[in-house]
Amino acid sequence: MRHSRAIRSGTGALVLSFIVLGVSSVASVQAKADEPVVQEEESDIVKLSPVTPHRILVQDTVATHAKDGRIYVVDADKAKLLGMVQAAYNGNVVQDPKGRAFYVAETVWSRGNRGDRLDLLPAYDPQTLTITNDEVLPGRALVTPKKNDLAISQDGGRVYVFSMVPTNAVHVVDTATHKVSQTVDLPGCALAYPWGNDGFTSICADGGLANVSLKAGKAEVTHTKPFFDPEKDAVFEHSPTRRSDGKTWFISYSGLVYPTALSADSKVEAPWSIQEAAGMKKAQAAEAPFAKTWRPGGWQLSALHYASGHLFVLMHEGTFWTHKEAGTEIWELDTATHKLVRRIPLTAPATMLGVTQDEKPLLFTNDSEGDLFIWDMKSGKQLHKMPHLGDDLYFTIALGE
Amino acid sequence: MSQSDVSLRHNVRGQKDDTAQSVLDRTIERFTRHVAGHSSRRSLFGRIGAWVTFGALLPTLPVERASAAQTSQPKFKPPTPFAANAQTTDATACNYWRYCAIDGFLCASCGGGVHSCPPGTSPSPTSWIGTCFNPGDGQSYLVAYRDCCGQDACSQPMCLGTEGDQPSYRPQANNDIIWCFGTGALIYNCSTSVIVGNAS
Repeated sequence: MRHSRAIRSGTGALVLSFIVLGVSSVASVQAKADEPVVQEEESDIVKLSPVTPHRILVQDTVATHAKDGRIYVVDADKAKLLGMVQAAYNGNVVQDPKGRAFYVAETVWSRGNRGDRLDLLPAYDPQTLTITNDEVLPGRALVTPKKNDLAISQDGGRVYVFSMVPTNAVHVVDTATHKVSQTVDLPGCALAYPWGNDGFTSICADGGLANVSLKAGKAEVTHTKPFFDPEKDAVFEHSPTRRSDGKTWFISYSGLVYPTALSADSKVEAPWSIQEAAGMKKAQAAEAPFAKTWRPGGWQLSALHYASGHLFVLMHEGTFWTHKEAGTEIWELDTATHKLVRRIPLTAPATMLGVTQDEKPLLFTNDSEGDLFIWDMKSGKQLHKMPHLGDDLYFTIALGE
Repeated sequence: MSQSDVSLRHNVRGQKDDTAQSVLDRTIERFTRHVAGHSSRRSLFGRIGAWVTFGALLPTLPVERASAAQTSQPKFKPPTPFAANAQTTDATACNYWRYCAIDGFLCASCGGGVHSCPPGTSPSPTSWIGTCFNPGDGQSYLVAYRDCCGQDACSQPMCLGTEGDQPSYRPQANNDIIWCFGTGALIYNCSTSVIVGNAS
C-alpha cells in the first residue's frame, strides 16, 4: 500500500515535470523568435555627424594631474558624451567657425615629465576625432588655460598661439599649410582677441591694447593709450569677443564693462557698470578692499550671445580681489541698453559659463565636482546635469563662437 | 541602589578621610620645619623681590609677543580681508599669512616646506611677487611664489589666494602662469612662498 502510493506520487511528479518542461520550452522558443539571432561581429568606430550648434567642446584641465588634460565632445541636447581627445598639459582648443576642424594646443615631453619638450597644434577631424595634421609649434605659453591664449580668425584661415618662450609673442599659424607664417613679438602684451580675418589685439601691461594687423601680410602693430589701471581694476582675460567684427566687452574686476571695437585702430568706449545696470551702486575697486557687493568672478566667467547682444556674467557677493570666486548667479545683461535682463540663481556655484550661438541657445555652467549643467537660455531653466563629466571643466566652445 | 549601600559607602569614605588628614598634617609639619631650619627670612624676601621685579618684564620677551599675536584681537589693523583672517603658525593651512596670493598646491603639504621644495623637484629661479601682511609683526612683506617643478601636480588640497593677483598680461603679478622657467621640464608640482623683502 505504502509502496503503491509512492509509485503513484512518483508518476504524478513526472507528469508535472513534463508539463513544466513543455511550457518553458514553448516560452523559450517564442523568446528566441522575438530576438535576432546573435551573429559574429566586426569591430568598428562610430563616426559623428557634422558639427551642430548644440554639439560642444568642453575643456578639462584635470589640474590634479595636468599632463592628462582632455577635450570632451558633448551632445548638449541629449547630455551625452560623444568622445574625447587628449589635450596634454594646460591644453587649449579652438574650433573652426564653420565646424570643419578643431585645433588643440598642447605640450608633451619625450620622457613624460622630462626630456625634449614638444609644443603641438594637432588639427582634428570633428567627425572621426582623428588627427589630420600634427603640427609642431615653436612654443606656447604654459599657463592655466584661458580661451584667449589660443584664437582663430573668422574664416578659419589663421590660428593665433600666444607664447612666452622666450619672450611674449603670438605665432600665426596658416591652417591651410599647417605652418607658422610669422611670429609677432609683443613685449609687455599677452593673449589674442581676433577681429575678422585681418588681425587680432593683445592686452598690454600698461592697461592699453596692441593691435596686430595682418592685412598686408607682414604684421603691423599699433598701440592704444591705457584705458584702465591694472593695479586698481584690471580687465578680465575672459572677456567675450564677437569675432566677426571684433567687438569686445572688456569686463573689469569691479564690474565695469568697456565696449571696445577692436581693429588696427581699436576704439574703447566709456565704461558702464554691471551693478548700476542692476539698479545698485557702482562697485568700488582696489581702493576699498573691504567693500562687499555683487561682483563678477570665476574663470571663464562671461559669455556673449551674438545675435541678441546679451552678455552673461557669473556674479557672487564678495570683497574686491575675489575675482576668481565661483559665481552663485548668472546675470544676463543687454549690451545695447546697459540694463540687467535677468538674474539666474545657480544650483551650484560655477567658475565657467558658456553659450551656444543658435536661435534656441543653451547655457553651460560647471561646479567643483566636475559636473556640467545645461540650461535653456531663454527660460533660464536647467535642462540637464551631466554628473562628473570631468575633473576641472574650464570652458566650452560652441559652433560659430 | 538601596539606602543601606549608601550609608556603607559613606562610612568607608569617612575612615579614609581620617587617615588622609593625619598623613597630610604630618607632611606639612615636616616640610615647614625643614624650610625654617634651612633658610633665612632675608633669602625668602630676596626671591620674592626678584620675581616681582623681573616677572613684570616677561610680557616684553619675544615669546610673549608671538603668542599674543595669535589672539582673536589683532594687534595691528589688517589692510585686507585676507590679512584679517590670516594666521602665522600653520603653513599647511590656506590662511597662512604668506599665502595671500598663492595659487596651487602647498609645498608645505607636499613633502617640502614654506620655502623648500619636496625631494625630487627643483625650484624655479623665476617667480611672481605678491605683497602679504604679517599679523604677527604688523609688517607687509614681498613674497616670491616660486614653483617647485619636475613632477606632475602634487595634488594635496589646493589653496587660491587672489589678493593683488592680476591677469597674465601683468606676468609679474599673475598666479596662473606655470612659473617653472629655467627648471628643465616646466611641469608644476607645488608652490613655495619665499620672503624676499620688507614692503612696509
